[in-house]
Amino acid sequence: MRSLARHLFVALLVFAVALPFLWMAYAAFLPPELVYAGEITRLGFSLENFRALAPEGFWGRLVYSLGVSSLATLLALITGFPAAYALREGAPLLGFYLFLLAVPAEMLLVPLYGVLAGTRLLGSPWALIWPFAASPFVVFLLYQGFRSVPWQVVEAARIDGAGEGVVLAQVLLPMMAGHLVTAGVLSFAAHWNLVLYPRVMTPEAWWTLQVWMADLVRKYPADWGLLSAAALLGTLPLAAVYLLFERRIVETFEGSLKG
Amino acid sequence: MRLRPKPAWLGVAPSLLVLAVFGAYPFLEVVRFSTWDWSGLSNPVPVGLANYRELLADPAFWHSLRVTLAFAAITLPSFILLSLLVALTLEGQVYERWVKGLLFLPGLVTLSAAAVSWYTLLSPEYGALQMLLYTLVPENSPLAAWLVVPAWDREPVWALLLVVAFTLWRYLGYGVLVVSASLKGIPRAMLEAAWVDGATPRQALRYVTLPLLRPALTFLLVVGTILTLQSYVAVFLLTRGGPFGGTRVLGYFIYEVGFEQYRLGYAAAATIVLLLLTLGLAYAQARFMEER
Repeated sequence: MRSLARHLFVALLVFAVALPFLWMAYAAFLPPELVYAGEITRLGFSLENFRALAPEGFWGRLVYSLGVSSLATLLALITGFPAAYALREGAPLLGFYLFLLAVPAEMLLVPLYGVLAGTRLLGSPWALIWPFAASPFVVFLLYQGFRSVPWQVVEAARIDGAGEGVVLAQVLLPMMAGHLVTAGVLSFAAHWNLVLYPRVMTPEAWWTLQVWMADLVRKYPADWGLLSAAALLGTLPLAAVYLLFERRIVETFEGSLKG
Repeated sequence: MRLRPKPAWLGVAPSLLVLAVFGAYPFLEVVRFSTWDWSGLSNPVPVGLANYRELLADPAFWHSLRVTLAFAAITLPSFILLSLLVALTLEGQVYERWVKGLLFLPGLVTLSAAAVSWYTLLSPEYGALQMLLYTLVPENSPLAAWLVVPAWDREPVWALLLVVAFTLWRYLGYGVLVVSASLKGIPRAMLEAAWVDGATPRQALRYVTLPLLRPALTFLLVVGTILTLQSYVAVFLLTRGGPFGGTRVLGYFIYEVGFEQYRLGYAAAATIVLLLLTLGLAYAQARFMEER
């Protein structure tokens, strides 16, 4: 009886969590006339909504957003990997990183705006990249990863005459693949999901998919099919990457929390 | 112990450079900005502490401070209790890994897309969920009166609860992972010892498991405090601070003042208040939980 209640609770939870996704996938294929007639429970199938996305400029935004988020993530990994290594080797800066972890960019909107206004970055897509070229979160996650690496390996490599660069690139890089993937996906997601930051720092032409989509809701609040189609396609890239690495991400993340 | 620098420490340089310019420097700058009367485009005029004086006398500021605290007061306990409950329920089930994977998904996927889906699904009166309910239960039946999506577009309390639900939906998976990771770290021998001593499952939970989960729960509390006090993107996407300012949390107040009314100096002063509030509360909680 108790285990039945337990399964029931889990089933309800799964349903509640999955419902917005299921609805999104369903509504994206609804014929527009059914939505306007309010007959959303009548079955219908149409690709009309997806066709309507192109004139709104969806595809360009998608490619552009994928580009800036990938670039920012790549840079964050490149700067984060040696930084985490330095922390693991005792550089006394862990507190600094943990402190910055507590203050996300969307919180520093006002001062960042001021700082960017002093440079030439404000209003250009680089405003979406340079401030994210180093991420305290990535550093912290990789640092946790390094702590689970048996350090004798590093010492042995050094005795064999390997320099720091070789140790990092040839010894540690392969061992840290799981953590790099996890840090990469999570930091990509964090960048991808910035809404107010790009809205404030760049003109409309350089808005990312997120900002554009938030705007689309204001423009066509009643066109659920169109909105859902945009939402579905905008979700798929990230969801696909996540599902591909899901096991690794959940396990690595869980593991790094134990330490 | 004296610190002896090693060559490996050089690796921190690029990361440190970026974070110093775009992380630490803005921190120092925000203090300076907060003493300016400045629209972002105009030349800044130093006004001393005038922004702070105005802030303390601004009813809109106090209102949003109250909303923020109310939001945190509802979100935090439910977040921690739900994380604990779900992690304990999932522990050792065949579907554990699968469900955890699903729970984590909302935190990653496209935020605006999620908001679109919530908005169309949960709109009062014309939302998809309401239509579905009307189809399942005839509108004139007595049951239908209970199956109404609350009018969160008119009632501030429901709007706030909607933002709470959205926030929980996004971060529950994270909370569950944290508790679950710590749950797996409990040595089985300790639980077995409790059982041998005749403890019921409930007692084992109360006297063995829960105390050992304490560090994980402290961690969640601190991270959750930072997160809830600073989160306002959900507000922007779902309610835009309304209705009647019922969901205008401090973060959103700052956004509005700074980038809709172009009063960056004033917004900077409010940012400082929010930062102090967050860091102060998080620190106090960490200390409090450690001492007990």
